[in-house]
Amino acid sequence: MQRLLNKPENYVDEMLEGLYAASPDKVTFVNDDKRCLVSKYKKKGKVGLATGGGSGHLPLFLGYVGKGLLDGCCVGGVFQSPSPEQMLNVTKEIDQGAGVLYIYGNYGGDIMNFDMAKDMADMEDIEVRQVIAGEDVLSAPKDKADKRRGVAGIFYVYKIAGAAAEAMKSLDEVERLARKTCENVRTVGMALSPCIIPEKGKANFELPDGKMEIGMGIHGEPGIKLEDLKSADEIVDTMLEPILQDLPYKSGDEVSVLVNGLGATPREELYIVYRRVSQILKDKGIKVFNVYVGEYATSMDMAGMSISLLKLDEELKTYLKMPFDTPFMTQNQL
Amino acid sequence: MAFTRENFLAFLESASALMNENKQYLIDLDSALGDGDLGLTMTSGFTEAVAFAKGSSETDLGKLAAQTGMAMSKKVPSTMGTLVASGFMGAGKAVKGKSELSDEETASFFTAFTDGVCNRGKAAVGDRTIVDALKPGSDAFAAAVKEGKSLHDAASIACDAAQKGSESTKDLIGKFGRAVYYGDKVLGVVDQGSVVGALIYKAMAQTL
Repeated sequence: MQRLLNKPENYVDEMLEGLYAASPDKVTFVNDDKRCLVSKYKKKGKVGLATGGGSGHLPLFLGYVGKGLLDGCCVGGVFQSPSPEQMLNVTKEIDQGAGVLYIYGNYGGDIMNFDMAKDMADMEDIEVRQVIAGEDVLSAPKDKADKRRGVAGIFYVYKIAGAAAEAMKSLDEVERLARKTCENVRTVGMALSPCIIPEKGKANFELPDGKMEIGMGIHGEPGIKLEDLKSADEIVDTMLEPILQDLPYKSGDEVSVLVNGLGATPREELYIVYRRVSQILKDKGIKVFNVYVGEYATSMDMAGMSISLLKLDEELKTYLKMPFDTPFMTQNQL
Repeated sequence: MAFTRENFLAFLESASALMNENKQYLIDLDSALGDGDLGLTMTSGFTEAVAFAKGSSETDLGKLAAQTGMAMSKKVPSTMGTLVASGFMGAGKAVKGKSELSDEETASFFTAFTDGVCNRGKAAVGDRTIVDALKPGSDAFAAAVKEGKSLHDAASIACDAAQKGSESTKDLIGKFGRAVYYGDKVLGVVDQGSVVGALIYKAMAQTL
């Protein structure tokens, strides 16, 4: 794998320097720490939303900081959790008097550090709540759903909570909607190639040509099994099955679909994937309200994709329709 | 006898010295079954804790302990750094507003330290973590104080209990962290986190 970098150890900070230079009107940082990223858009009395996690997943996590989505993000090293202190600094900056909600993925290091930041914020009289996203169906069985990893579907949690906060809903209400979104979103992923961490310079697992792994996580966590590569339609059939069974879905339900590329898979292939998704949903009588196709949560240079479904009701739809604007993406009112 | 700011500082200094003495041992243990940085994070974390607490003019022992925890967490945001820092924060919360602690309050302080670590990491005794040393240590300490033993004697009993708890991890399979990936390959080797826990109680026995 050939990379565009200067020194591997500067990978994250130089990426951030580029981002601040490219979007000076939208994002900045606090406490002289480039890894404490906050939105330039502020609204008095609005609930503050923060996320955080390791680098290597853009646009996750910092790409969702902007108007109508999140207010701040702590940036860790590649696949490493940011520190509680960084989270506390972001929390203090984005608190507009209505409290702060942390939304992040279900990973041990992140949970511990966000928990710690929450305790510190409590000592400074900032009310903090937390919603932990874990929607990767194949990372744990349904009876152990609390062990499931958070992957691309967290986008929907950001989207709904962000819109609710922007609509000046209370901390209780924003938290409730974030939880409701978590309960209604499911993701299944698959990988076609491993990824390489810049400072390591070699892949942390093997995925030989002609093989694929369904259920692999965004740091290369093991999937269900290594198997022979199949056609796109067969892969989608295999992946959609556990998603549709988990909630479960029935004819007449309405959804939003997110087809996410892991970093090295061309968008052409993501549309080949969505083509099949739309056929299956149509056959089952499930109505598609809107679709996101692109890169929403990547894993460096991993090839592969994930499919997320958000089951909608009128309330979730209202918030999904609302606009947002970040350095990475923009949505008009739907 | 009361537990004062001086006792707390002496305890931190002793813990810091013990981490330094055992730095290579912790690195070796952690390189075999973790990511190898435990010796570095613990020496660095306790060095920072000593520097912070000595430099602070805070007379409220609760606040001092909690702030020491925060200073440690800022210095070493690794898993074990965050866990030990959480212990200090929990202990501090339990004795907030007090400038010296009675024997019972000293027992509460160390019990709250264990609880702070357990609440943060969600581990219990038997999960092959630092808790396997901390919990027996604080339980034995509280029981000895309740029986009317001096802090000095209670600390020595607690130190033995923590050491024994750490030894017991040799027979345990990991439920947290990288140890999970190693399955039963960890058997026969002591859990590196529990070694840190035992050293914390050794520091206490040396200073109370």
